[in-house]
Amino acid sequence: MSEPLISVKNISVDFGSGKKRFRAVDHVSFDIRRGETLSLVGESGSGKTTVGRAILRIYPVATGSITFKGTDITKKLTSSEQRDMCRRIQMIFQDPMASLNERAKIDYIVSEGLYNFKLFKNEAERKEKVMKALLEVGLLPEFASRFPHEFSGGQRQRIGIARALVMEPELLVADEPISALDVSIRAQVINLLNRLKESHGLSYLFIAHDLSVVRFISDRIAVIYRGKIVELAESERLFEKPLHPYTRALLSAVPVPDPEIEKQKKLIVYDPAQHPYDKEQPIWTEAEPGHYVLTSASELDKWMR
Amino acid sequence: MKQVPVLGPELFVPAKAQAGEEEQIGYEHYSYWRSTFRTFLKNPVSLVLLAIIIVLTLASFLYPVFSKTDPNKVALDVERWNLSPSQGGGIFGTDQLGRDIWARTWYGTRTSLLLGFIIALLDVGIGMFAGALWGYVKKLDRIMTEIYNILTNIPQPVLLLLLSYILRPGFWTIIIALCSTGWIGIARFVRNKVLMIRDSEYNIASRTLGTPLWRIITKNILPYLVSILIMEAALTIPYSIGAEVFLGFIGLGLPLDTVSLGNLVNMGKNNFMLYPYQLTWPTLVLALVTVSFYIAGNKFADASDPRNHV
Repeated sequence: MSEPLISVKNISVDFGSGKKRFRAVDHVSFDIRRGETLSLVGESGSGKTTVGRAILRIYPVATGSITFKGTDITKKLTSSEQRDMCRRIQMIFQDPMASLNERAKIDYIVSEGLYNFKLFKNEAERKEKVMKALLEVGLLPEFASRFPHEFSGGQRQRIGIARALVMEPELLVADEPISALDVSIRAQVINLLNRLKESHGLSYLFIAHDLSVVRFISDRIAVIYRGKIVELAESERLFEKPLHPYTRALLSAVPVPDPEIEKQKKLIVYDPAQHPYDKEQPIWTEAEPGHYVLTSASELDKWMR
Repeated sequence: MKQVPVLGPELFVPAKAQAGEEEQIGYEHYSYWRSTFRTFLKNPVSLVLLAIIIVLTLASFLYPVFSKTDPNKVALDVERWNLSPSQGGGIFGTDQLGRDIWARTWYGTRTSLLLGFIIALLDVGIGMFAGALWGYVKKLDRIMTEIYNILTNIPQPVLLLLLSYILRPGFWTIIIALCSTGWIGIARFVRNKVLMIRDSEYNIASRTLGTPLWRIITKNILPYLVSILIMEAALTIPYSIGAEVFLGFIGLGLPLDTVSLGNLVNMGKNNFMLYPYQLTWPTLVLALVTVSFYIAGNKFADASDPRNHV
């Protein structure tokens, strides 16, 4: 097993303070290896996006640490480290309509990061870099002189990817990059992300709620429920043998493109009261090699049988 | 029965698909300001108002250059006093000291417009940056809110009275007096708008790209405020002109040797019962200036919102 690119240990994120304090993410841990796609799936409000934003240091963490290539990025960083982290970890946003500055031209949007870190020697080099980034995501270089509102959702999402790509990142946090897109262009963006992963040696933290999509792009999948990761496994293994009842409930909700099967399908409803956690506390256990689940010992026994 | 033509494959020519071409068509170059002006000028009302503003501004700034009439020249001959236009007192008549009201109106309009422009520029300029910071930097919110409370709770006439005691009454005193409280109102307005957009996704995107604060403000936030700021500026101009007239009215305005619409209205008011034309003409010009700026400003603010561009 290679050294993890980023290692998240026991992080929690709180919102509000005092009585109104709400723990959105509760002691979450995972690693992402170089060249790997880790997907984080869960329902709305489960804390997926918050984990992603904590990695980008938009939200401060209350506990735990995030180690990126040996540097703890939850601590106060020197300005040169900060610059470095900013470049190495980039984000793709959920809503391509909201994530581009409507009053700036594509040229500026794509080169915003270049301006911030002076990543070009002269104007010609900047233009060249913008052009290359646009071509890489399958857009024409002439688009640089246009405004975001002239583009379709899929094109806008590709502009968002170009903006992140121009920074030459190592880790891309993709926060539901396809959920706001039309079904017909989702494949386009997913294929683009997969291609870029190969050509740029990227690693992804892919945040999604759609398991049918996640299955095809991720190496490993983590299932998050109410701020806690309940199960983490290789993606095929998770589909073959889901252990946690919440994972099973999620998998049962994946639509099958066959009306006959779909009619017969029994949905599992997850009831958090089913766990006997008043007697023994759930712990993060390795049920089988590489397959982790949040459970207590006796419960795991029952599931494994 | 009519023969229906049969569609055969020979009628069709296969089109050649060219990669990239489908994305190349259907776009035109878009310029924000050009679209704004096009939308603004499409409306006949705004066209007329714009013409009025341009004519009035040009006339008031060019009249002093081309006319030899001295607006402060007092006629020593009693026969020349209080002559209405019909009695041969010039276009707008003469006032109680025999000064030419036509000349005084243009000189006065020039002073008042200049006052309005400078105050609008200062108010909007300061208010814009203070408001953007106030809304964007959360730590500043507390301090700025207190400053706002203090400034808005001092009654304006008291502040003006104090300022006119400290400083000598004059052009710049009025500017300082009106700007010292005017900017905070615009700042609050801007702050509310900034609070609405500061946490939108594109701003978070800029933060993850490491964009420094000043560039977020100038590139991400201020462009969204253009329409509001133009409207505020357009409203501040008539407001300042009106405020100067009011200050002249209560005796805190410009000194009497400075010709302004405020002083003209004040003088006309005293003689209104006997010589109504002395009040009517300057007031009409005043109304024309303020109403034109007010409506044209609103129209331009509407036009500068890209959602109204076709």
